[in-house]
Parts: sequence; C-alpha cells; structure tokens
Amino acid sequence: MWRFGLRQGAQLALGLAGAILLAAMVAAADDARAGAGAFLHALLAHLGSFLHLDFGTSTISGESALAELSARLPVTLELAGLGGIVALLIGAPLGILLGTERPLRAGAPLIQIVAAIPVFCVGLALMWLAANVLHWPEHGASQFARILQTLALPALTVGAAGAAIVQLSLRRAAAEAMDEPYRRGLRLMGLSAFDINTVFLVPQILAGLLRSLGEITLALFSAAAVAEWLFGWPGAAVLFLKSVALHDWNVAALVLLVFAAIKMIADFAGIVGARALSIQEPRA
Amino acid sequence: MSIAAASQTPPLRGVIRSFGFAGLALIAVIVGLSDVIARAPVGAAGVGPALAAPSAEFFFGTDLLGRDMLSETLHALAITLVQSGFAVLITLAAGGFFGFIAARLPWRSGFVLRWIAGILGAVPALLLAILFIAITDRNFAAAAAGLAAAPLAFARTFDRAREMARSRHAEFARATGIQGATLLRRDLAYEIRDTFLTIAARALAAVTFILSTVSFLGFGAVPPHRDLGLMIAAARATYLDAWWTAAVPGAALILLILFARLAAALDEGERP
Repeated sequence: MWRFGLRQGAQLALGLAGAILLAAMVAAADDARAGAGAFLHALLAHLGSFLHLDFGTSTISGESALAELSARLPVTLELAGLGGIVALLIGAPLGILLGTERPLRAGAPLIQIVAAIPVFCVGLALMWLAANVLHWPEHGASQFARILQTLALPALTVGAAGAAIVQLSLRRAAAEAMDEPYRRGLRLMGLSAFDINTVFLVPQILAGLLRSLGEITLALFSAAAVAEWLFGWPGAAVLFLKSVALHDWNVAALVLLVFAAIKMIADFAGIVGARALSIQEPRA
Repeated sequence: MSIAAASQTPPLRGVIRSFGFAGLALIAVIVGLSDVIARAPVGAAGVGPALAAPSAEFFFGTDLLGRDMLSETLHALAITLVQSGFAVLITLAAGGFFGFIAARLPWRSGFVLRWIAGILGAVPALLLAILFIAITDRNFAAAAAGLAAAPLAFARTFDRAREMARSRHAEFARATGIQGATLLRRDLAYEIRDTFLTIAARALAAVTFILSTVSFLGFGAVPPHRDLGLMIAAARATYLDAWWTAAVPGAALILLILFARLAAALDEGERP
C-alpha cells in the first residue's frame, strides 16, 4: 500500500509540475507574439515567480492575481460542493438501484437522454420551471426560503452534471460486485445477505465511486463554470472567462493552475482511497 | 469501447449504435436540404409577427425579430454540424491518430506526450477551448473545440495502443522478425477499421457539447452565422415568456448529441 501511495504521489507531483508549466505558458501568452526567444524568456521568468508563489498582478484591476482568485475561489468551491451533494443525493440511489435491480435497467435510456443535455440547457430549463411553475422568487417568502431559492437552481444545475457520473460509477461498481462469485460462497457459509452487503459489498461499491472522484470533480467544476455565468455567481470560473476575454493572462493562468491541481489531487485521493478500501480486511 | 457496450448483449448494442448512426444520417440529410426545407433564408426578419407561438403557419413559432424558428434552427443546425465535423477531424488527428502513433514512439518519448495529455485533460475541456480561442481568434472556435477534446481522445487511444503493442500477437510478430513499422501499419489498419466510427461519434458528442457551450458563453460563433448555442443564448431575453425560442434550438442540439452518444455506444452518463 505504501509503495502504491508513493507511486501515486510521484505521479501527482509530476502532474502538478506539468500544471505549473502550463500555467506559466498561459501567463507568457502575450510574449509569444514577440517571437520564440521572448516567449521562452517570459516562460522561464514566470516559472521562477510561480515557484516563489508570485503569480503576478491582474492587468485589469492591478491587484495581485492570488488576491483576485482568493476572493472568488470560495464561491466556486461552495457551488461545486453544493453540486456534489446534489449529485450524490440523485446519483447514488440511482446508480445502486440500476446496478443491483436488473428490471430497473429498463429505465436507463432515460439517463442517456439526460446525459445528452448540455449544462446551460439544464440551467435554462430550471430557470424556466422556477419562474413559470414554481413562481420564484416568491413574494413574502422568508429570508431562509429566499436563500434556499437562490442556492437551489445553481446547485441543481451543477449537481445534474455530477449525478450522471456518480450514478455511472456506482452502477458499474454495484453491477460488478453483484456478480462476484464470493457472495454465493459466503451465503453457503451461513452469512446473511445484510452482513455480506455491509462488510464486503459496500466497500467495493464505495471504492468504485472513489476511483471516479477526479472525473466527478472535473464534471462539477466544468458545470460550475457555466452555472456561475448563467446565475451571476462571482466565482473563479467567471473570473477565468473575464480574464481570457480581456487577455489578463496572469489571472487566467492561476485559475487554470488551481482547477487542474484540484482535479489532480481529487484523482490522487480517490485512487489511494479506493485502494485502501479494497485491501481493507473485513470486520470479524 | 465503453463498459456499457461490453455489458450489453451484442445484438442490443448493435441496434443502439445503428439507431444512433441512423439519427446522425437523418440530421445530415436534413442539414443538406436545409435551404430547401427552410421557408426563410438565414436571418430573414419579419417573416411573421414577433414571438408568435407555434401554430399551423409557423410550426415552431417565431422569435423577437419575427424570424421563423424552424428555418433559423435548421440554418443554425447546419453551422453547428459543419463546425463540429471540422472539430471532430482535429480531435481524430490530434487525439486518435497521434495517440496511436505516440504509443509506438522510440525511447519512451510517447510517455512525455501522454503526460502532457494528462495535464491538459485535468483542465475542464470547456475552459481549455475558451483559452485556445482567446489566444487565437473566435473564427478558430471549431479548431479550439477539437483541440480541447483531443487530450482525452489521445489518452484513451494511447493506452489502448500500448496494450495492443504488448499483446501476444505483437510479441509473436516481433519474435518472428516483423519490423515495428510494419506492425504499426497493421495495427493502425485494424484500429481504423474497428474503432474509427465509434471514436468519431464520441468526438462528435464531445465537441458539440464544447462548441455549443462556448457559443452560448459568447466566445464562439459570431452573428449573423448563428449556431445552436448562440441561438439559445439570444433566446435568454425572451424564453421565459416564449419558451419555443430556446426549446426548439435546444431540442435540436440535444438530439444531435444524443444520436452521437448512441452511435458511440456510450454508457448512460459516460463522459464523451
């Protein structure tokens, strides 16, 4: 396990080094027009600065890029976190039911249709439903209800994107675990179905979900970019869109670096966590 | 090939894929005949009253400028499909083909490329496409979408090609003195024969997603050449009262992506 963790850690370090290189290339984008030599010089200068945690200043606001991102990132993390909760609430039961209950597989094509809907269409449809069916924002609603209404649509939009992957990874893991021959053997040894499922099946399914943690994170952050723009949330993804539109490369580079780093760390944590779960000795 | 494809019975898988390809072919025919089917040319305003609801006269209603929604959607679908087609070619070349070749490069240099693909793949493809557009020009949106989808295609093809290079038939071929280049040509021929259509359909789903979202966010298509994403973005001002202005192009977009997903035999919820 330690060897596996170290190997994964080395891969993560290599990936992060690559992400820093990519960010430095983005930060040096403007210098590319002046020729390869100027670009290389700027690239090395940015790499040196990045290693000292100096990510430059925003050409738009004059603030440091780090300060700009620090102000916006919590919004994106909050949105992705809420979306993650929604994704688990929708995707987990769906995945387990579709993976274990064979007759319910007939409902799977519906997910194929849902998965074909782009995130911005989901957001627009939810906005239409909220305005025309639920009549949000309600007049005279309590403060709590208003906050809930403000959070619900972006969280559902992001969550819908994550739910597809959550259900897929759980469904695959559940279907695989249900077909394991050891279940029949353990039943013959006298263990109840409940014991078998809680001690053996659940860790196996959870490991399947953890293996997809990086994919889920990527889907949540991609959806958050669209949801922030659609619902006017001042997050890091909108900061990225504005930065690239105005060629504010220092800020754009930092946002890219942080997004890539989050995905890589989620991948690492997921793979190591899944490995830990799959080699865990069952309780006596 | 996806796990869904593996888990489904071959005849059912075949039916689903055929259905997907038939749907894509139907869309291609409709797009080919769009100038004949559409009752109004691109951007023709005042064809009907503003925001007329779907009726016998205007099957899918009209927009704020009195443009026929059916005609506009057909024209936008044509632009989306042509741009997506171009983007697919780039994804296939930079992702599929190059990934296959990279797996056989000497001195493990392919792993450096695989590492780069992994890093680019850690960034949301949408943001990557927007970055490429910002560095180049909005006219390169299709190329940017194709390049943004390429890292994932590269990684998948590279991993599959590595497996193929380590397979028993490859070992046997090397042992019997067959040259690496000959083996590469042979494997490439089989790769194209067996998986080209699936990879192309998968890439089509991915780039259509990216292109339409990029246009929706205002980084892609430029008026008057509206694609479906830009049409939906333009409908934001009116769709709460006139649902058809967003629903019609939205349905066309979803159908295109759905048929591409089915043709690629993607599992339900699987990332294209």
